Amino acid sequence: MTVRHYEDRVVTAFLYCAVFWALLGMVAGVWVAAELVWPTIDFGIPALSFGRLRTAHTTLVLFGFGVSALIATAIYSVQRTSHVRLFAPGLAWALFWAWQLAIVLGAASILAGWTSAKEYAELEWPFDIAIAVAWVAFAVIFFGTIARRKVEPIYISNWFYGALIIVVAMLHIVNSLALPATLGKSYSLFAGAQDAVVQWWYGHNAVGFLLTGGFLGMLYYFLPKQAEQPIWSYRLSIVAFWAFVYTYIWAGPHHLHYHAVPEWVQSLGMVMSLILLAPSWATMVNGIMTVAGAAKKLRTDPALKFIVLALAFYGLATFEGPMLAIKSVNVFSHFTEWTIGHVHSGALGWNALITFGTFYFLVPRLAGVPLYSTRLANVHFWLALAGTMLYVLAMWGAGVSQGVLWLSLDDLGEVRFSFNDVMAAMQPYYLLRLLAGLAFLAGTVLMAVNLAKTFAGRPTAVAMPPAGRRA
Amino acid sequence: MTWYLFIGDMLVTAFMIVLFVWLSLRSTRAQFDAVARIPLEDEERRG
Repeated sequence: MTVRHYEDRVVTAFLYCAVFWALLGMVAGVWVAAELVWPTIDFGIPALSFGRLRTAHTTLVLFGFGVSALIATAIYSVQRTSHVRLFAPGLAWALFWAWQLAIVLGAASILAGWTSAKEYAELEWPFDIAIAVAWVAFAVIFFGTIARRKVEPIYISNWFYGALIIVVAMLHIVNSLALPATLGKSYSLFAGAQDAVVQWWYGHNAVGFLLTGGFLGMLYYFLPKQAEQPIWSYRLSIVAFWAFVYTYIWAGPHHLHYHAVPEWVQSLGMVMSLILLAPSWATMVNGIMTVAGAAKKLRTDPALKFIVLALAFYGLATFEGPMLAIKSVNVFSHFTEWTIGHVHSGALGWNALITFGTFYFLVPRLAGVPLYSTRLANVHFWLALAGTMLYVLAMWGAGVSQGVLWLSLDDLGEVRFSFNDVMAAMQPYYLLRLLAGLAFLAGTVLMAVNLAKTFAGRPTAVAMPPAGRRA
Repeated sequence: MTWYLFIGDMLVTAFMIVLFVWLSLRSTRAQFDAVARIPLEDEERRG
């Protein structure tokens, strides 16, 4: 029997739920992808309509899968890098139940038609309050553990997790400020262009500090663990952290190019997005150089393969993002599927793959047994890679086609192709995207089976007899 | 308003540059190497 000092049961619970939400969120994603090929498969049911199901998809994968995985890995790593047991484990369990309940009820409310109509923040005001309270609990647990640490330096992964907690709290509270009208409807305190600027300050920095910063925390802890190598340049990781924090917060207005916001705000967003390439690639280079010391292990270890592939997609996505933020590129790419391809090269290629790699590392350690099947994990790796590549290529093709078609003018200077013409041209790409989603989902199902079998094979706890009866 | 924003932006930028330089100079290579090894030496500890 293994005696565990660290509080890992709550980590396991979050991990289970993260896998469950990944499966459910990806099923919703595949379904909405199928609706773009066969629009009638909502069967006239409002909850299955594209608008509601797509929002349920993003909510489930972002806040169900992504945040559960981030909380699990933050709790796991902060104890170890601080050499202390988790602060307030009871509060961590309360956070677990509160967060899962918020996801269940929140997804149900979206399917029922409740929405604040703010992208990636669609949940209505009762959920906004519940999320804020839960997030404070996360902060207390995390920073409480840091405060009790027995190692003086705060390891770099904790800086990223800390930034995630602080900045997401700030973004969530400001963007959610609203006047409730009924239980299921509220009106934002911001209006017009102001509302747009606040929304994309939130939206882009949710990408920045949740999908990038939080997962970089995961990378900086689990990459050295898995590669059995210290991070290549610790100094570079610190400089990259501060450059990342400083630069990212300005980049949101690149979502509002050619909109009714001041020209200088748009240009500032573009310039900061381009500067952001430097800290992003500094981290990628740091990660790749760390793995270079463990090249042999890379051939056989599926967890490390996932993490390294995630780094490659991180590099690709953080190059593509600044390029799409250039105004003259954005005039072509905006309102096209290219943006969807970019988002998914990050969400699938970076966030999901690094989480999968981390789960393949964590579950055998949490269960105390080897992974059930390395072969299944390798099949998952290739399905995930094929799915991500096919998705991105399909959306690049669709996006470039749309860009050309939207901007094509006839001799009178009027648009040559109607919305219907453009949508009809998208059908082959949408079918390819559906296949890509199915491949990625199939890989995730294999992972769920593999991890469940691993947990099922863990040694049974030995019941110790009372002290007086021991031989 | 624009000027206030600009001056504020430049002050923040100056602060960040000072922070970068300070962070880069304050610790020795040996100290950085020791911190980088934290994740590799955390399982055997029982705090």
